[in-house]
Amino acid sequence: MRESKLMSLEDAISNYVKDGDLVGIGGLSFWRKPMSACREIIKQEKRDLTICTFVGGIEVDMLVGAGCVSEVRASFVGMEVFGMAPNFRKAVEQKKIKISEESEATIAIGLRSSYLKVPFMPLKGIIGTDYPKVRDDIKQFEDPLGSGAQLMALPKIDLDVAILHVPYADENGNGNIPGAVWMDADMAKTAKKTIITCEKLVELEDIIHLPRKAQLPMQTTTSVSRVPYGAHPTSAYPMYTFDALYIQKYMQMDFEQYKNQNIIDKNQIQYLEAAGGVETIFNILL
Amino acid sequence: MSEKKNNYTIDELMTVLMAREVRNDDILIVGVATPMVWAAFTLAKLTHAPDAIYHYIMGNTFVFEPRQVSLLYLEMNTKRAYRFQNSAECTLESLPSDTLTSIEWFRPAQVDQYGNTNNICIGEWENPKIRLPGCAGIADFSMFYSRGSFLYTPRHDTRTFVPPEKLFFISGVGFPNGEPSICGGSGPQCIITNLAYLDFDPQIRRVRLKSNHPGVEIKTIKESTGFDLIIPDSIEETTPPSEKELDLLRNEVDPLDIRKLEVLSGKERQILLNEIIEKEIKMEKRYPRKLN
Repeated sequence: MRESKLMSLEDAISNYVKDGDLVGIGGLSFWRKPMSACREIIKQEKRDLTICTFVGGIEVDMLVGAGCVSEVRASFVGMEVFGMAPNFRKAVEQKKIKISEESEATIAIGLRSSYLKVPFMPLKGIIGTDYPKVRDDIKQFEDPLGSGAQLMALPKIDLDVAILHVPYADENGNGNIPGAVWMDADMAKTAKKTIITCEKLVELEDIIHLPRKAQLPMQTTTSVSRVPYGAHPTSAYPMYTFDALYIQKYMQMDFEQYKNQNIIDKNQIQYLEAAGGVETIFNILL
Repeated sequence: MSEKKNNYTIDELMTVLMAREVRNDDILIVGVATPMVWAAFTLAKLTHAPDAIYHYIMGNTFVFEPRQVSLLYLEMNTKRAYRFQNSAECTLESLPSDTLTSIEWFRPAQVDQYGNTNNICIGEWENPKIRLPGCAGIADFSMFYSRGSFLYTPRHDTRTFVPPEKLFFISGVGFPNGEPSICGGSGPQCIITNLAYLDFDPQIRRVRLKSNHPGVEIKTIKESTGFDLIIPDSIEETTPPSEKELDLLRNEVDPLDIRKLEVLSGKERQILLNEIIEKEIKMEKRYPRKLN
């Protein structure tokens, strides 16, 4: 028997996220972000994290607002139709956090380089932009095989820990995602540790029969925590969509006040009650 | 502006113009938070481009059927995907291709006369006055597409249209210093704004006025552009939306006016956003309605 990887979220964050880590966060924009895990990071007052995510939103904004972050690596950090990410924007403008300027491909290629164990991969893109002026770790070069093509070398991204939220997981660590996977599988492949939170805990037998099986295979998973509505206020397809009313309230509130009322000393049940309880759940359920 | 005189609003005109650029064999790249683009593509699917294929970044999916524009339930389109993408496919696979034609609309915060764009910062990068959300994939693809890249902005003013020295960061490459596009793409093709349809002079590869929107004076367009806009001797007026285009857009494609969020600002925008959310939460069926 394999040992169960089930663990409370509190223990998972406490055991596997260290100050100064390069943390990969799954999902995209307002979709399938590991929000409860991010709230736990805030509660545990982790510091000096570098956050790497494909397209960031409210999770990056909260972590930055709570002072957990020293650097952000994302192709986009915003609140979509709701506007700009207030804490992120303020922190960059006041030079409180560093930015590694990324595009979609620099993240995707960086993660792929990492698990392929090459220091860099070439991209036929970025050329002609101002990225090289603000990134001393990327470099334009000519195809060494003689085609004459100009290419951009993008460095690998070695994550210390990946944090991913999925609809279904088993206690061995298999994760199944019915919707889009984005960079989640790449992050799990390369991170030294992978923390999974799930909406529903299922059995290996279920994973075997679910369409597309385990996109996150158990051998790369470090811990699994069951956290229903763990992506709120972002979405977890096919269970619920993002909570537009909540996100609007977040945008209008002072962050310290928000944090004290919604995160600090709140367990998941208390958090959901503060977020509007049953009515909120009815609003977002698909 | 003479919007009142016309039987359409500026968001409707822009959406229709964007739809007209779509070809039947295109892959339609739908980015994040761009309801106007989704509306334009869907309008094209219902009119002249029924075979075009959506590529939604929100699901990283290829989807064939057109559905009504939705704010809260757009992810439900993933359910109807015939292919999911993941990993580097999300950014690279559908895009630089010799055999496929793709169309993607980029909305720049700043654009110069060579079609270079900025979505990173206002002010110096090291010391930004405003940190913008970022360019997502624009840096990867603006120079790649065989059909070129397509730009739009509902804010045609001298803050958006700037000379190269005032473009704070090149995050999307147009025609560098008027040279041909790099990486084999065709470069920027047009910029659709609230005032005009702009294209690029093929010889010197600089922005020129192609047509002014009905009721907009050329002087206004010139004064709203922060660089020397090429104005040919003969300018045609933009062909306004047809009754059919307006009817489809208003009643089928986007009855909740979600695309309008892209042109409004401040309180007006907030009111519309609240209305849209309220209406969509009340919907029992949470699949965006299928259109045909």
